[in-house]
Amino acid sequence: MREPNAVDFWRGLALVTIFVNHIPGNTFERYTYSQYGISDAAELFVFLAGWSIGIATRERDGRPEPRLRTVLRLLSRTIEVYRAQITTMALALAMIAGTALVLDNPLLLEWHNAGGFFADPIQTMVGFVMLTHQLGFFNILPLYVVLLGIAPVFVLIGRVSRVAALALSFGLYAASLVFEWNLPSWPGEGDWFFDPFCWQLLLVMGFTAQDWSRTSPWLKRSAPRLVPVGVLIVLTGIVLSVLELRPDPLLVPDPRLVFTFDKTYLSPARVIHFLGVLLAFQTLYAVIAPRLGWVATFLASLGRNSLAVFSIGSLLSLAAQLVRFWTGGGVVVDVFVVGFGLFALGFTAWFVEWRSRKPRLSSP
Amino acid sequence: MALPKAAALVALSLSLAGMAGGSVVSAQAPAAQPQPPGPEDFMPRPGPAAPVPASPTVVSPPNVASAGAGVDGEAVDVTLSPECRVPGSKLYTLARLGAVKAALKEKHPVRVLAIGASTMGLGASATYPVKLETALERSLPDVDVVVESRGLQGEIASGAGERLRSMVAELEPDLVIWQVGSHDALARVDLDAFESALDETVQWIKGHAIDVVLVSPVYTASLAQDAYYTSLVGKVQEVARREGVPLVQRYEAMRYLALRNDKGEGHLLGTQFRLNDLGLRCMAEHVTRAITLSLLQPDPVSTGSAGRPALTLAPPKDSPGVKDSAGVRGTPPPVSPGD
Repeated sequence: MREPNAVDFWRGLALVTIFVNHIPGNTFERYTYSQYGISDAAELFVFLAGWSIGIATRERDGRPEPRLRTVLRLLSRTIEVYRAQITTMALALAMIAGTALVLDNPLLLEWHNAGGFFADPIQTMVGFVMLTHQLGFFNILPLYVVLLGIAPVFVLIGRVSRVAALALSFGLYAASLVFEWNLPSWPGEGDWFFDPFCWQLLLVMGFTAQDWSRTSPWLKRSAPRLVPVGVLIVLTGIVLSVLELRPDPLLVPDPRLVFTFDKTYLSPARVIHFLGVLLAFQTLYAVIAPRLGWVATFLASLGRNSLAVFSIGSLLSLAAQLVRFWTGGGVVVDVFVVGFGLFALGFTAWFVEWRSRKPRLSSP
Repeated sequence: MALPKAAALVALSLSLAGMAGGSVVSAQAPAAQPQPPGPEDFMPRPGPAAPVPASPTVVSPPNVASAGAGVDGEAVDVTLSPECRVPGSKLYTLARLGAVKAALKEKHPVRVLAIGASTMGLGASATYPVKLETALERSLPDVDVVVESRGLQGEIASGAGERLRSMVAELEPDLVIWQVGSHDALARVDLDAFESALDETVQWIKGHAIDVVLVSPVYTASLAQDAYYTSLVGKVQEVARREGVPLVQRYEAMRYLALRNDKGEGHLLGTQFRLNDLGLRCMAEHVTRAITLSLLQPDPVSTGSAGRPALTLAPPKDSPGVKDSAGVRGTPPPVSPGD
């Protein structure tokens, strides 16, 4: 178990933010940073995933591990994430169907894109395992599966030339924005909620930034000087989102997605805002971590076990939504469901680490 | 069953005559429909009314005179297939659809974006978008209708309105048919926040010369006494009225169907689910009816072709009297709620 560090801390914060934001309508939603900027926790999560790939595919002394091992490592992680997605989706569908039965309430079957599964199980079952049928709020892991699947290409190119990896990534991003390339949904119409062709940019930026910050003393010196630029971008983001100022997608010139604030295609405004957040908060961890005490330890423990915490978190968000609907919501219910959720996330992280520390339990 | 059979023959021959007449449209002959013996039998059956003489100016308004009386005495709209019959007042409020009319006039395909929670149906050929496209093309002869459907995740009160704008910008439809409110109801969002966000989004769509039809959320018995839920349904109605857009009252229609089909089995597990299925099956028909009738709303200002209607509408050829070979419309046989 590694010591708390900045990457795990911020990843933990992103996980908590995603958990709270996935309980729409709850009291605490308005206190998450997603409400005060153009980009949100999803960008942070994907960028830090890329950063972690950078760390994981090198030896401790910084030498890159053998190429085949990197490819196998990423393949094994892809399978792990796929398994997590299938398991959480199956549980989520059962939770929705079960609650609908208990409350005798078919409205629940219309829960964010679940209706297709119940109305048309034959096709949707196929779409479910192909990741082309996604439930609302359960669409980050399918993105992550695709990103990890294509990551070896970028990681191996990046070993030869960081610029080449970034250029390829940016080229794919730009083309997808202009030509609106995306993976299709099926059996429903439409496309993926998170376009992997666009979102791969953040992953590649994550691991090249990690590599660059490791090797370049110049970056270490000059990045802190850019904090004011970051703060300016963050402040602009706060003003724009509080005043709800954003471009009208029917009035912007072509190619439309370059100018709108689109989440699916990760419009440039979101990338710029995210880079601003990165610059503004790059040095913050060292300042606040000692003052936060157990909170920093808690968030870092979530970040260390991000896949388990994310999976359990998405099920807890759904459970919280169902409880809020059943009880009618309100501040007391919100305090209870969010409080219980945070405790359960912490327990998940602890349990995963406990299990890996203990010698393998003998089967009964 | 001799009488209904005879009436069906009359209806069929009338509709064939109408088709033989080319684009000229015959008035509907809803006189009497052959109905399978079933749950509707407790209702007074419409008598064989005299067929309305054919007229070049279209129209199939809810034919009150010849319609069967519903549960509470109000006439049901007999142009709908038997299992879906609901009185017009329970089913829709109408308003002008300028963009669709313009598309019809210019004879370019009508592009429809159907947005909603459960946009799928039972099997590939019977999905809601496919049914909707078929039903609309039957009601608007010689017009090509292209229906795109999209699920919209998230709540209108928090961000879904923004995603809807992106979809509209991507597809640039003439008409948006929007099943709205389910997700906001499930999240129990603040009612005023819901109303103002919905209002704002509807204004935005209309502001870009695109028509909107709103579809209210489903009715189900366990929510009938839920004050929050009924208020939310009311908010959808209010916005539709204020913004002057047609509304398909799915809630009212399903409540009507629930009442009609009530056999005192409300306590049995699954009753509400069967009703929900019925509501989904009927939705394409109900939406089409509201759109067809909305297209007959007069223009506020004469557009030069005064006195001549901008378009002519066929009677719904899929009315039960002239149901074509089974399977084309994908409508399952009427349910018997008792089984």
